[in-house]
Amino acid sequence: MFDWIVTHFGFLKHVPLLPHVFDAWLKLVSLFTNKNLSDYIDDIEAEVLSWQHTDVSAHKYGGVQFNAFNRELGHIHGNGLLDILFSQTQKLVLMNRYPIQHHHVFKHSGWVSFKIKTVSDKKLAIELLRAAYIQNNS
Amino acid sequence: MSSSPRNAYTRILLGILVANLVAIILVGASKYLVTYLEGNHAGNSSGVFIFSSFIVVPLLMGAISAWYWHPLQLKTLAYIGWSAVSTLVASAASFIFLKEGAICLIIVSPLILCFTLTGALLARTVYRRKNNTLNSSLAGLALLVLLADTFSSHENVRLVSDTLIVNAPIETVWPHVVEYKPITLEETYWLFQVGMPSPVQSTVDGYEAGAGRKCIFSNGYVFDEKMIVYKPNEELTFDILSQPHDPEIMGHIDILRGQFILKDNGNGTTTVIGNSWYKLYVFPGWYFNLWSESITRNVHLRVMEHIKILSEKNV
Repeated sequence: MFDWIVTHFGFLKHVPLLPHVFDAWLKLVSLFTNKNLSDYIDDIEAEVLSWQHTDVSAHKYGGVQFNAFNRELGHIHGNGLLDILFSQTQKLVLMNRYPIQHHHVFKHSGWVSFKIKTVSDKKLAIELLRAAYIQNNS
Repeated sequence: MSSSPRNAYTRILLGILVANLVAIILVGASKYLVTYLEGNHAGNSSGVFIFSSFIVVPLLMGAISAWYWHPLQLKTLAYIGWSAVSTLVASAASFIFLKEGAICLIIVSPLILCFTLTGALLARTVYRRKNNTLNSSLAGLALLVLLADTFSSHENVRLVSDTLIVNAPIETVWPHVVEYKPITLEETYWLFQVGMPSPVQSTVDGYEAGAGRKCIFSNGYVFDEKMIVYKPNEELTFDILSQPHDPEIMGHIDILRGQFILKDNGNGTTTVIGNSWYKLYVFPGWYFNLWSESITRNVHLRVMEHIKILSEKNV
């Protein structure tokens, strides 16, 4: 559903506020499909905010954006889709090690996507964000 | 929740009550101001509701609630739950103070919930950054949009068209198009099942252009119509002279004109085309047209299915 909307109506992401409304709608739908998801996202947010020089903001295309050292680490959409930016080299290393995918839109960039569904996914999401944090700090 | 439970619930309730108080003032004021500014263009409606009432105001409601809630560090799930409660309070306030009907509130609630939640979650993130310039700029921008929307022109006239094939010759179909006996078909459309009035019968004063026609609905509502085109076996067009006032959808829509066009298919069957023109007084059109088109379509189909049954009985 999310992929279908992004593919066919992705151009609407430039309409002010619309991505945020879509993200709120995703959160509402997720209540019925995975009621623990919003808690997982809250836990990830709390963990990232406990690291030095981090903050969160609203992602321009909807969702929670994690920043460190004034740069974006990644963001989570309301359906639990985590997007993180790595260098191309690190992306390939991580894709061999973890069940993560190319970014759902920018396949040839350093971005990766990972769908959070379970507690263990939450732990992996924190691990990946930590790797991005360390990369940005080095 | 980080503060004492009593203090936390006070903040949560304050967030809901203040947000709703501001909303009822803004929506009520904009409704009466826009209705006044539109003058005769407001037609028979119970008032014009601009898009800001259902988008900007709910966003502000969410932002106001989040102002009270964000020190409590509530979970996202709590934001969703309390935003839903705030939407219920807004619906109840609209029912009491704005005299809105239950079906209208069912239609509008998903829109209000989605935008209230968006406002609350966005504001939660913005408040965390403790940037008062940004906060006041966003609030000012929202109020500016509300003002600009209030003083803009509001016009939304639409046509809904439906087609049905009747397995009967055109001269058999025509009399049932002009007037028809009470509809006994079971209600299948969910809004009719929950109490929205559906068409029951049509009667005429005469069989010529200029004659009166009445369309009677299930709760006794009567639409007074005047036939302006009467071409037997071809076209019946009628203007709606008066329609009932009620707090439900009829209070937010004027049905302007109706039309039946008949086409002989040359094989003993007839194509019946039903057209309705209406003017909507609630915005945003992209949302409310989805509902009004669906309702108009189901009114059409209920009448046209009835015409089909009556016509095919006589073949």
